[in-house]
Amino acid sequence: MMRFLLLFSRQGKLRLQKWFLPMTEREKKKIIRDMTTMVLARKPRTCNFLHWRDLKIVYKRYASLYFCCGLEDQDNELLALEVLHRYVELLDKYFGSVCELDIIFNFEKAYFILDEFLMGGEIQETSKQSIAKSIEASDMLQETMEEYMSKPAF
Amino acid sequence: MSPSVCLQEMIRVIRGARTQGEERGVIQRECAAIRAQFRQADNGGRSHNLAKLLYVHMLGYPAHFGQMECVRLIASSKYSEKRIGYLGAMMLLDEKQDASLLITNSIKNDLSHSSQHVQSLALCTLACMGSAEMCRDLAPEIERLLKASNSYIKKKAALCAVHIVRKIPELGEMFTPSAHSLLSEKNHGVLHGAVILITELCERNPDNLKQFRKSVPELVQIMKNLVTSGYSPEHNVAGISDPFLQVRILRLLRILGRNNDAASDAMNDLLAQVATNTDSSKTAGSAVLYETVLTIMDIRSESGLRVLAVNILGRFLLNNDRNIRYISMTSLQKIVQTDHTAVQRHRGTIVDCLKDQDASVKRYAPSQRWHIDTILHVLVTAGGDVRDETVPNLIQLITAASELHCYTVHKLYRALISDIVQQSLVQVACWCIGEYGDLLLKGECEEITPMQVTEDDVLDALETVLQSHMSTPTSRGFALTAIMKLSTRITNNVDRIRSVVSIYGSCIDVELQQRAVEYNALFKKYDHMRAAVLERMPVIDRNSSGQTNGDPSVEPMKEFNQPKPVQGVLIQEPANQVCDLLDLLGDSNPPLLVTNDHTSTAPNSTNSTSSNVQDNLLDLLGGLEPTPAPSVTVFEKGGLSLKLQCDQQTETSTTVTFTASNSTQSDITGFNLQAAVPKSVQLQMKAPSGDLIPAQGCGTVTQTVLLSYTNKANLKMRVRLSYSSQGTACQDMVQIDSFPSPAWS
Repeated sequence: MMRFLLLFSRQGKLRLQKWFLPMTEREKKKIIRDMTTMVLARKPRTCNFLHWRDLKIVYKRYASLYFCCGLEDQDNELLALEVLHRYVELLDKYFGSVCELDIIFNFEKAYFILDEFLMGGEIQETSKQSIAKSIEASDMLQETMEEYMSKPAF
Repeated sequence: MSPSVCLQEMIRVIRGARTQGEERGVIQRECAAIRAQFRQADNGGRSHNLAKLLYVHMLGYPAHFGQMECVRLIASSKYSEKRIGYLGAMMLLDEKQDASLLITNSIKNDLSHSSQHVQSLALCTLACMGSAEMCRDLAPEIERLLKASNSYIKKKAALCAVHIVRKIPELGEMFTPSAHSLLSEKNHGVLHGAVILITELCERNPDNLKQFRKSVPELVQIMKNLVTSGYSPEHNVAGISDPFLQVRILRLLRILGRNNDAASDAMNDLLAQVATNTDSSKTAGSAVLYETVLTIMDIRSESGLRVLAVNILGRFLLNNDRNIRYISMTSLQKIVQTDHTAVQRHRGTIVDCLKDQDASVKRYAPSQRWHIDTILHVLVTAGGDVRDETVPNLIQLITAASELHCYTVHKLYRALISDIVQQSLVQVACWCIGEYGDLLLKGECEEITPMQVTEDDVLDALETVLQSHMSTPTSRGFALTAIMKLSTRITNNVDRIRSVVSIYGSCIDVELQQRAVEYNALFKKYDHMRAAVLERMPVIDRNSSGQTNGDPSVEPMKEFNQPKPVQGVLIQEPANQVCDLLDLLGDSNPPLLVTNDHTSTAPNSTNSTSSNVQDNLLDLLGGLEPTPAPSVTVFEKGGLSLKLQCDQQTETSTTVTFTASNSTQSDITGFNLQAAVPKSVQLQMKAPSGDLIPAQGCGTVTQTVLLSYTNKANLKMRVRLSYSSQGTACQDMVQIDSFPSPAWS
């Protein structure tokens, strides 16, 4: 299973953090520090895989954002690259040519999309269209609720 | 006003802060406002406020006061509030917080909500942060949902069940029947979840393993459909139909086929089909092939299939994609660890690949330890087939990884005591034990299970190599030198070493005999020098990637194997700079150190060295009186002239002073003088007076060189001058065949 997924900028600013295993705030901060340091220090033509403690770290840079995840021993690193790519594709479809600013200003939506794609550190849906449809449907639900919000309760 | 605008406004303000202090101020103000709002009952902006708090939390600021708000929002009837409430719960509440228990009831209710999206929120949150208690409480609900008619819910319930099984393995039996029936689903999301659930159940309980082996034919069929199906737009990734599902199925098959002939047979054909038909030009296909290879090597597959797998790895090693090359190296390492015999049979293929790829492995080896481990494995399995350079290459790598010395010597010691057949491994191990024996004896080492190693154990191991008929003369030489080095690294058994060394003084093998005699001398007459001579090696400097045997990096190895006094090592650095000048002198021998005059018989050379040093010292002190000796102009070009003057003549030594002057209109800068002499002459350069020669003869640069020799007739010198004059860099060479001297008349 994936233990965590982090998105951070080239300056090391965190844009998204998803933890699939319970950890203390202190442990989380340590991992974030270590990941940003390690990944940002990588030279351009090295491979996308690293070792850290007992985990395999897979990272990929998309424009100004680094997508970084921690995997367990049995997980397939090449597939993890595909998982990261899939998530970027989903964001791209939703925001229309996604850029870092989209994720900064709409971080809660980035989480909602992630929660339709991954769950408990595993992939829950392998079809892009299926995920896009459910996000759309949830957003519609929210819109309707917004209307209700401006009306009195009864 | 929708929540996003409020949130975005705050984000804009925070980002506009120019300093950390300003940002902190903004955030403190916002948090105070949010806190106040939380305290108000029934306000419409609750979800905006929590969203703002979550943003602040991501920046690293404390947000624990939002926990209760999450609980409240989850219990709300409005979807937008539930959505952000559950997100907040996943970010701020984990099983360690007491507040997490408070949402159990909300989750339970939402699991039966009429809207599948609300159910989805509850399922997602449970799978993300559900504690063992919550899981136990809600497991029956999840089991019910697994049988629900809606695939959207089923796939999420399956992953929720996975989380529950991970938290409380005993609850697994609750999900076993449903897991089995889920395999007949068509929906890929549900199938994927089902495969993961079955994998988890099988890993936790061997009974489940037996039961689910019966599903192998079903799994094989699903895989076949995926591999042979035509283009499916919904699941296609780079020509592969649902690689995510394929990889998970392969992983499950691996677990089911392990140690079981029947199951392995049932999947043989499928694996062959996947291995041969999968297009690996993109990452998706390579991911599937990679998983296939791991599965083939782990189950009871027939040898043809194993050859296929190793060939795939071999192909991967030559792939342009760096990631794929990395994967193949790590797979090979895993395979060598677990399946020694299979690898032995394909040794040739693997070693061939490794031989070609050694340089690129270095370039992308993720860590020095990984690199060392990998080469060690190659030596253990195929040590007889590796190139000669592997031994010095590995030694150079080990010396460079100084923080790994302890780990490396422990690993090598263990390899040595189990098997001394592979000579390259034996040589590297002996060298390391000799160098880092003290680290081995300390016992403690991270990353390796502790093992008490006594001095006697280590000496036993080395003596075994020395005495074994399987050891080549080179290996015995390594062992003897290692034993000698330990005499300065151990405390109790020095006498044992002394006796070994003296026994081999009469060995038939001339090389061993010579070494033993010299080591004996180090114990007796030169005991005061023994510690210095046997000191730790400096890191060997590598200037090429070492393709041929005539490689400078190999030479230090030859040097260190022969007992040369410490001075040979210390003077190596400056001598290397003069090496190319020596070449130019036309010596037919390969570049030799200036101090090579010291022959390998230690006693004589150390004597002459010390006397030379004393002579040189005397010369310096004595040479302060300026005796007017004739000076000769040896070089003149473009205004720069070099004069030579000899002083302090003895039968065997001369002090030469060079004087450089400049008659041009501008200064000469960066003036540097290098000198080289034949083998039979000793040269010692003193520091020059400067590197700037003022224009128009206003000043000079002088440099003194001390020469000592056995035969005056051989005294020649070649001098190289480099300098900058009027903006251009220049280099000139002059050969001096005769030296003026008052003593020679």
